[in-house]
Amino acid sequence: MASFKPTKIQVYPKLGEKVTQDTLYWKNYKAPVQIKEFGAVTNIDFSPVAPHNYAVTAFTRIHIYGPFSQEPVKSFTRFKDTAYCGRFRSDGQLLVAGCEDSVVRLFDVSGKVALRMFKGHTKAVRVTDFTSDRYHILTGSDDYTCRLWDIPNSTELTSYQEHTDYIRCGITSKLNRDLFITGSYDHTLKLFDARVNKSVMTMDHGQPVESLLLYPSEGLLVSAGGRYVKVWDLLKGGQPLVSLKNHHKTVTCLCLSSNGQRLLSASLDRHVKVYNTTNYKVVHNFDYAASILSLGLAPDDESIVVGMTNGILSIKHRKSSEETKEISGQQKRRPAYRVFVKGKNYVPKQDDYLVSKPVKQHLAKYDKQLKRFNVSKALDTALETWTRFRKPEITVAVIKELDRRGTLKNALAGRDERGLSQLLNFLVGNLVDPRFAPVLVPATEMILDIYQSVIGQSPVVDVQLQRLQDLLEREIGYQQDLLEVLGMLDTMFTSSLPRKEVPCSETFYRRF
Amino acid sequence: MAADGGSSSLGLPCVFSPKSRQYLALCAQDGRLRIWNTDSKTLHQEYVPSAHLSATCTCIAWGPCRTVKEGPQRKKRKSEAGQPEERADLLAMGTAAGSVLIYSTAKGALHCTLDGGHSGGVNSVQWHPEDSLLYSGSADTHIIEWDLQTGKTRCKWKADRAAVTSLCVSPDGKLLLSAGHIIKMWDLETKEIYRKFTGHSTAVRTLRFATTRPPDSNGLYFLSGAEHDRLLSVWQVREDGNDKNSVVSFTLTDEPQHIDLSTSTSKEEAVRLAVVCKDGQLHLFEHFLNGPCKKPLSPSCSVQMAGTQDSPVPVPLLAAALGTDTGTVLLAYGNHLQPVMERVEINTAERHICLTRDVQTTLSLSMETAVSKVKTPIVNAKSRVLVPGLPGHQAPIKGTSQGSEKRKKGTDTKEMSIEERLGEIDLSTVSSVKGAPKGTPSLQTDNFAVLLVQGLESSDAGILNKVFQTRKDAVIKKTVSRLPLPAVLPLVEEITKRLQGHPFTAVLMVRWLKAVLMHHTSYLSSLPDLVTQLGVLYHMIESRVRMFHKLTKLHGKLYLLMTQVATSDSSNTVTDVDHTAKLVYEEESSDEDEASGDEGLPDDNSDNWEEEEVMEETMEQDMEGQADEEEEDQDSRTESKANGEEDMEHENESEEE
Repeated sequence: MASFKPTKIQVYPKLGEKVTQDTLYWKNYKAPVQIKEFGAVTNIDFSPVAPHNYAVTAFTRIHIYGPFSQEPVKSFTRFKDTAYCGRFRSDGQLLVAGCEDSVVRLFDVSGKVALRMFKGHTKAVRVTDFTSDRYHILTGSDDYTCRLWDIPNSTELTSYQEHTDYIRCGITSKLNRDLFITGSYDHTLKLFDARVNKSVMTMDHGQPVESLLLYPSEGLLVSAGGRYVKVWDLLKGGQPLVSLKNHHKTVTCLCLSSNGQRLLSASLDRHVKVYNTTNYKVVHNFDYAASILSLGLAPDDESIVVGMTNGILSIKHRKSSEETKEISGQQKRRPAYRVFVKGKNYVPKQDDYLVSKPVKQHLAKYDKQLKRFNVSKALDTALETWTRFRKPEITVAVIKELDRRGTLKNALAGRDERGLSQLLNFLVGNLVDPRFAPVLVPATEMILDIYQSVIGQSPVVDVQLQRLQDLLEREIGYQQDLLEVLGMLDTMFTSSLPRKEVPCSETFYRRF
Repeated sequence: MAADGGSSSLGLPCVFSPKSRQYLALCAQDGRLRIWNTDSKTLHQEYVPSAHLSATCTCIAWGPCRTVKEGPQRKKRKSEAGQPEERADLLAMGTAAGSVLIYSTAKGALHCTLDGGHSGGVNSVQWHPEDSLLYSGSADTHIIEWDLQTGKTRCKWKADRAAVTSLCVSPDGKLLLSAGHIIKMWDLETKEIYRKFTGHSTAVRTLRFATTRPPDSNGLYFLSGAEHDRLLSVWQVREDGNDKNSVVSFTLTDEPQHIDLSTSTSKEEAVRLAVVCKDGQLHLFEHFLNGPCKKPLSPSCSVQMAGTQDSPVPVPLLAAALGTDTGTVLLAYGNHLQPVMERVEINTAERHICLTRDVQTTLSLSMETAVSKVKTPIVNAKSRVLVPGLPGHQAPIKGTSQGSEKRKKGTDTKEMSIEERLGEIDLSTVSSVKGAPKGTPSLQTDNFAVLLVQGLESSDAGILNKVFQTRKDAVIKKTVSRLPLPAVLPLVEEITKRLQGHPFTAVLMVRWLKAVLMHHTSYLSSLPDLVTQLGVLYHMIESRVRMFHKLTKLHGKLYLLMTQVATSDSSNTVTDVDHTAKLVYEEESSDEDEASGDEGLPDDNSDNWEEEEVMEETMEQDMEGQADEEEEDQDSRTESKANGEEDMEHENESEEE
């Protein structure tokens, strides 16, 4: 006995954006927590030690937030003017910050008053950082100099006056205590070595440099300035590797996801872009409400913190694994995999007597009806609301199957007003879809043939038909336009192709 | 009655002339000094300092009234030309640039300029009551004593660590009060500090002596008001020097802006005080100054002013001066450019008084009368004239200057009221908008091209949606033609993505695509990999138009059916008319066959019609009930299916009717 063949549902390629591993990963964040700061948030720095608090520099204050707190756990307010660049030391115990009044202050994270004040710059200090040996501080200022300071006796060690414009970003090497890099508005990046008292490498970014980032291996340097993000190979003497232009306004901040696989860039155009660091393609994009000035990423990407020009700090926490489970738990619990394979992989021994048990075929609802030749009911089940809207391909496949059997007319006929309007509604939604049109157009014709005698009797059906007519009119107009475009493209293709026909046609003419 | 004109550098300086209160000197937003006659309520003089925009006037003080003659001003006006200079009623103006201008109302011109003293803006100027001395306090923390005979500084000393914001000379001319945050009392003979009074946390803006008694009698009191402070403090200068705190304070609704008081000479005489606050309210106080009083005193009377519109708008009071008899107050209110002056009898029995005045009509009325003399200075080559950038700022100046010219000619043409002026401004903006359309589309496309490029670069869905929603062909064409070449291919890709949607939205995208293909033909055809670039697009379009034939056919079919239904519906409604027409035709024709054939149709039709009507009549009650049910639950419909069709008919007809 030949078994029933279930209707084959054709699988169509999905339209729209592809769902990649990255989009799933970066979308797996909760709704953002928003905190209003006093002024534009200019810097966010995560503490390198657990529990990974982060320092937020905004206006004349530095607030330290805990990983899940919405209130600052600590705040430093002893600034005479706008504070800049609050950064943690690698042990997470000291915090350094520059200020508009040119004084650099060093704080104990547990204290309140500045431990050390470093005076010497003549203009606002926008860059501060600790060197890797933890005893020195690097500062860069609007007076075009960058300096190294000794923490224990708060003296200036060296001053470098090589830049010719404001220094707005800088970073120290985590591996070597003597190396650091600064970026300036004079479009250059300079790599300094404290042992030789001058810069050892200069790279031209081409735009005022706003942000710098070193890869954990410190072989690659990323710089942001203007609309460009550029990657430099330091080991090859500062050779530019990649130049990315994915923002339409100045890129203000760079960040590396904790495993170094993804690079994040934030810009004044209100976007945060995520790049794959192997091919530097944009893999994800975040939108924010205002221009972004600062960006911070917690270790293991647990949270994304973004500071904006309107003083709002937006914090997105990663959904914990429990919550994601909760969502899956809401769906129907299915039996485990081993239930299905139970006994299936049993290899019979030679003298076993095999009793074959017929496998029960699982059929979809519409297939059950089809099997019983209830064509009308089969179509009804295929037109159920959920299927109709979510999986139109199933409905279309059933119609196709009915057409193949030659019973489509029977299935379509004999419908009351409600059934007919449902059917027409489905057609209005899907008739012009190029995937379904070959099946649905004949079906529509059939419907019109069957019901033409009763048209005009029901206002509901009439409205649907009117809609259908409108749709067709639009679609025909649209396709006419498309045909015109097709003509244009044809012309363009022929004109762009090298003319091979010319000799051919000559021979053609010669023959006659 | 003391009459040293007080001025406040917050807001705009606005001072009544001493004693007779005949003039109001007012420095308005446009930097011009205007002197109004409070009797005739007209503009008396207008003076524009040559640097009125760069160095605005920060404070004004009237010079002391010479006691030589009673009512010197009136005399002056009668014989202006031949008056000697020393009788001039002088006006001192401090400027933001640090100079002090002495203006003579008799000459109607600048008397002299006291220059080179201050390095910061002048915050306060005060005249010495007897000697021809002038004191000025500045933001550079110094006080200067000017000798007006020579026009030079007589003495200059550092008064405070912060800016000197207010000054006041005692009525006997022996003491000077100065204030930044701390009030200091100086002995003018020795220029040494006599007393210090602390208590204000913000800059003190107002200082005024309240009594005219000697300092060592325990009877000298003075008032002080500070920025953002809703209290007016009274301090007592005590003999024992134990005057750390203010003795009395008056509560106000806002920061004081203009103060007038009648000083008391003895303990039995009460001090009367009129304070105009920043919120435009006037508060009147009356108090006997005899030692401390713990509670802050509230005003004996508050006066507000409102317009006469349907929804009354508060009219701000600018200044107030107490009259000689207790009941009257001279008020100045409305706009700084055209204040309205009025003497008002105030019934002090009531605590709150609200006066309603129609400011606009009083304004236009007051402007009808001709004005004596208005002078504008000759701008010499050295002085810089700064043109104000705001068009709204320029308009009123223009209007007044026009008016003044007319006045000079003596024609009594009516000056435009504010309403008319506003109307004109509106008209001009409207006309400019009307003129604009030529410019706007290009501007829009400019923006659109930039927006589109930005959106494509950062693939910002918001921006792209905004751009692609335009329906104007001209805008689309211009935007595409302005598009830089590197952005063309991304645009084509974006369009390809969007073409796959619903025809309603995709139609818009075709326009964009066409525009791109038309404007960038040469660029696109020069691409070496054109086929691969546009291949996706080509295949997509091809697959979409594959069904064109069938869809068109289907559309034709549907169209026919729908039109048939429509005509049958319309024939249904006009059955009667058809009927008679056919009957007429039948009578005229001689051919029997045709007649019968024609007869048949309308008869059938009418039969049907009647049947339906009968059916309807029988069913009507049921159906009305059903109509409601249908909407509520669709499932119940299947049960009443038997009646369904007739039901539909009924609804159909009711719609047509």
